[in-house]
Amino acid sequence: MSTQDKVTINKLPTGVPGLDEIVGGGLPEFSFNIIAGAPGSGKTTLAHQFVFANASPERPALYFTVLGESAIKMLRYQQQYTFFDPAKLPDSIRFINLSQIVLEKDLGAVLAEIIKEVEKTTPAVVVVDSFRTMVRKSQNGPTEMDLQSFIQQLALFLASWQATTFLIGEYAEDELRDNPIFTVADGLFWLRQSTERNSVVRKLQIVKLRGQASVTGLHTFRITDHGLQAFSRTFGLSGHKKKEPGSKRLSIGIPELDKMMGGGIPEGDSVLVTGASGTGKSVLATQFIAEGIRQGEAGIVAVFEERPQAYTDRAGSFGLDLVTPQHDGKLLILYLRPLDLSVDETMNEILDAVKKIGAKRLVIDSLAGFEMALSPGFREDFRESLYRMIFALTGIGVTILSTVEVDESFTEFPFSTYSISFLTDDIIRLRYISIEGQLRKILVIIKMRGGSHSQDVREYEITSDGLVIENERLRGYERLISGIPERVGRFSEKDKLPLKSKTKSKT
Amino acid sequence: MLPQETRDWARQLLANEAADETSVTTGPAFLRVYEKLRRSLCAFAGIAGFRALATRALTLAKAEAPSLRALQVTADGDLQGLSEIEPQTEMHNGEDGEVSLIAHLLGLLITFIGESLTLRLVQDAWPEAGRENCNSGDGATA
Repeated sequence: MSTQDKVTINKLPTGVPGLDEIVGGGLPEFSFNIIAGAPGSGKTTLAHQFVFANASPERPALYFTVLGESAIKMLRYQQQYTFFDPAKLPDSIRFINLSQIVLEKDLGAVLAEIIKEVEKTTPAVVVVDSFRTMVRKSQNGPTEMDLQSFIQQLALFLASWQATTFLIGEYAEDELRDNPIFTVADGLFWLRQSTERNSVVRKLQIVKLRGQASVTGLHTFRITDHGLQAFSRTFGLSGHKKKEPGSKRLSIGIPELDKMMGGGIPEGDSVLVTGASGTGKSVLATQFIAEGIRQGEAGIVAVFEERPQAYTDRAGSFGLDLVTPQHDGKLLILYLRPLDLSVDETMNEILDAVKKIGAKRLVIDSLAGFEMALSPGFREDFRESLYRMIFALTGIGVTILSTVEVDESFTEFPFSTYSISFLTDDIIRLRYISIEGQLRKILVIIKMRGGSHSQDVREYEITSDGLVIENERLRGYERLISGIPERVGRFSEKDKLPLKSKTKSKT
Repeated sequence: MLPQETRDWARQLLANEAADETSVTTGPAFLRVYEKLRRSLCAFAGIAGFRALATRALTLAKAEAPSLRALQVTADGDLQGLSEIEPQTEMHNGEDGEVSLIAHLLGLLITFIGESLTLRLVQDAWPEAGRENCNSGDGATA
């Protein structure tokens, strides 16, 4: 069948930020959907958001309530959300209570009442909240088979009347499989809520959606004053064309380091700066951002371990002005520290910021802080999440510089505690060494995926101008990266490294 | 304590209903107002939901107007014992029991769902009257 012969299925906005992207652009018009999940998982709120986003006086919404939450209490609580527009009641959204019919009669009577109201109103949206309670009302009441028949007839009728429908039901996790009721539905939205240590994590899954491709997998969501907000696993970037890597190099703002990297960081790369505490990772990252701003490239710094003001102040102590670019909309410092974040949620914030200021550079300072900000359950998936995040961001042309702290060892030379080196294009390793009775610092480029780089081991200092690399590579020593180098060969006085007098300690 | 505006609103609904010569419903204005509210609210909140509200409103109204003591809310939300109440019996504040019952019903709705939604539900009960005739006591309209 050619494309022009196919029927066009209109897509309706879900009213839930992030969910349209997950369902493939919007909810198929006239679809018959089930929202399932445990009590408190956000089913009713999701339905309300859809209703408020789509109902109009010409094509209103009918919201049938059945035996569950009292309609008055439901409105009392739902009106607290910002999406709730009282002006839509009762002309655009009409609430109808079916409790008495359910209690006194059978499912046939319930169906008849729904049909009567639908024929009278010709609604665009119909919600039944909650259909599951109709089965549970008594031991001798209708069975799951009766409910399946009821739902089948309801689905047929509502589709014919051109209504997009949501049925809401309380279902436990293990009821998902092999439930014939779900076969009737065009769309099945499953909402989950779990407690992991002290954090509550909410996830939604589009178990099925006929007629269009949705983003598979579990997507985290949050319920705030604005209702549900969903965070797609693909970060809202599915369908975006991956930006082809260019030949442009981005200066780090440290001339010697740029030279070591063959002219700077290849645009769109992910760079890992790794080293022990105090080696200058954050200073290097700040110089990278400041240099970008100096060259007209907006930047974002995601900080997890200190507040934006402290970060800005510290940059100022190195002569780097991060205040003005923040006022000018060239720099955003995101402070992300709740302990129940998901990577998807963090990414959403970062992506919003990238879009807002057109950022080309991103600093994540640090990955350890990032991991700590996540809910415990998400920490288990940190590597996988990081992979998705880096892939998504570099795919739209953002150059990422992440810092990570490693335990300094004098027997090993670890690049990262996360085994994430494979996720990064370039790795810059900072470390302490002991020379001449002093604790000094060296820097080495471990890898650059985009080409050749300097093999030199270079000494550097943290000065009032930031991270400054010595002009020459260290000579006359071997085992430098062990941290305890040894002199080799004859060593003249002029080869001796000069003793350092002072160094800036807080990095 | 019920605000004066809510009592004024109830009084206005009763006055509008009494003056409505087109009403197809027979009986005293108080009963017609109550019945319209009952129908509208039962559709929205269910019979049980309305009955719970009405029973509470009646309890509050009885405390102000002893003349209502014979009145009961039936299982379907109707009022029973109407013939035994003494119309226009003055309360301590010059209000009558009928106004008190309607006012408390409105007051409970305002407490639970706010004035804006209450106003819209009341307007829904008098679709033929137009919004200006359903104004709350302070003149606010939706």
